[in-house]
Amino acid sequence: MSIVVESVSKRFGDFVALNDVSLNVRDGSLTALLGPSGGGKSTLLRVIAGLEQPDSGRVLIGGEDATAKPPQRRDVGFVFQHYAAFKHMTVAKNVAFGLAIRKRPKDEIEERVNELLALVHLDGFAHRYPSQLSGGQRQRMALARALAVQPRVLLLDEPFGALDATVRKELRAWLRRLHDEVHVTTVFVTHDQEEAMEVAEQIVVLNHGDIEQVGSPRDLYEKPANEFVMRFVGPVSELSGRWIRPHDVEILTEPAGGTSEAQIDRIVHLGFEVRVELSLGDGESTWVQTTRAKVEELELAEGQIVWLRLEAEPVSV
Amino acid sequence: MKSKYALRFVALGYLALLLGIPVALVFINAFQDGIGTAWNAVTTPEAQHAFWLTFIMVAVAVPLNTVFGVLCALAVVRQRFRGRALLNAMVDLPFAVSPVVVGLALLLVYGRRDGWIGPWLSEHGVQIIFSTPGMILATIFVSLPFVVREVIPVLREIGTEQEQAAATLGANGLQTFFRVTLPAIRWGVAYGVVLTIARALGEFGAVSVVSGKLSGRTETATLYVESRFQRFDETGAYAASVVLALLAFATLLAMNLIKPKEAQG
Repeated sequence: MSIVVESVSKRFGDFVALNDVSLNVRDGSLTALLGPSGGGKSTLLRVIAGLEQPDSGRVLIGGEDATAKPPQRRDVGFVFQHYAAFKHMTVAKNVAFGLAIRKRPKDEIEERVNELLALVHLDGFAHRYPSQLSGGQRQRMALARALAVQPRVLLLDEPFGALDATVRKELRAWLRRLHDEVHVTTVFVTHDQEEAMEVAEQIVVLNHGDIEQVGSPRDLYEKPANEFVMRFVGPVSELSGRWIRPHDVEILTEPAGGTSEAQIDRIVHLGFEVRVELSLGDGESTWVQTTRAKVEELELAEGQIVWLRLEAEPVSV
Repeated sequence: MKSKYALRFVALGYLALLLGIPVALVFINAFQDGIGTAWNAVTTPEAQHAFWLTFIMVAVAVPLNTVFGVLCALAVVRQRFRGRALLNAMVDLPFAVSPVVVGLALLLVYGRRDGWIGPWLSEHGVQIIFSTPGMILATIFVSLPFVVREVIPVLREIGTEQEQAAATLGANGLQTFFRVTLPAIRWGVAYGVVLTIARALGEFGAVSVVSGKLSGRTETATLYVESRFQRFDETGAYAASVVLALLAFATLLAMNLIKPKEAQG
């Protein structure tokens, strides 16, 4: 189901969480709400779920005005950062919760629960309690619980935020595959640009309660609407008063047309990637992202004088 | 190492002197003329009636205070309204006010001659003071805070996410309460209930003021112990005390038995 947010505003006391926000989420898409904390992304997700009431504006789910509906009548699946597992119930009972509320027949519930536990790779854990699961397993259980009632939209609030780096990466790839299988309209909140880029088809950048830009990961990276988006979705560096991507700069060992002279201060090896920090003539400093092979080819060394050239069509604002 | 033992010695010694030895002496005194005598002392019609009355106090006050206590805790923790802090503070009033004052306050409201609404009730054939309803009111009053105080911190600790998750899964308010909130706070409620029972069993001051102490009519077990003692029937007083103490032990024991391992601490 599509989600339409129309001019939604929400304040908490003096704090403006959402300032006249409008957004379209296509049916079956996978969208990330990306931004710094306090930017309004979780509030927007909670407004869509009905867990917060907007001060003004409307929310339409599947073309139908849902603004006045309580969360239990919106047919949304919601996954919380800290899992919100029902601690006194087994994994199977957790997953079955929504179906039990809907008074489905016992054998149908059992079948569906088994199906979902297989989908989230938790078969064999049905009779455990949430306290006996790892963080990643709990979050997969929470996801199965949300999917059990076949929601029209799936909303995830920083779903991997409480997990360690390795598990996060695994679950990201897994969420992506799951979406390809289940095809439910999915919106997730994250403050991690890499996560948004890797998982989402569409990214909505929120800051100070406003939408800064909506676009595909590539759009955002290559055509950022403003300095904030440019800085938030990737590394930035400054050259001749322009904000540029540090890999859009070429290092030359001889002067050429349109180059600026600079001295290498430091070379930082980060594996394949190498970060070269430089001082420009006028006391400004910048950095360039390059590769190990390039550094070896040019035989770069700290203290060396080099010339910097912007590539043909750099991303800049 | 020595300080470790010193700490245990102080803690155990304190308990033994102030609690263990006096309670043990009650048991010894109750049975000094033999178990038969003690048994006879607690099975007289007056004694039986006193225990029956105490049972009624517990049977009415505990369920009422449990339901009210959970609702009150929910209001204090889950809602924002004017007077919330006042409600929270009012709940502790029975802790702060002496039970005797509670008894006198009830007299002022329900007294048959010059109470606030007592004369009107009396005209309509309802007697509160010097009768069971007044004693029940006094018991409810003094045992009111326990469930609220036990449930509030548990409700705060569990947070609202599980309830919100239940809502997004289609549960309405009542379903969320009975399937998610109540199971999550059940040990807090159970502990509150145990304390409420213990308090209701042992209440003396407030009930004493409103009961009129009519033997065989408005005498609860604690009042019975006092009246036996004042009539120099020491065996009767101690034997009834033993029954009260055993009931309290049984209540505490019951809770420890039903409590799961992980909830003990």
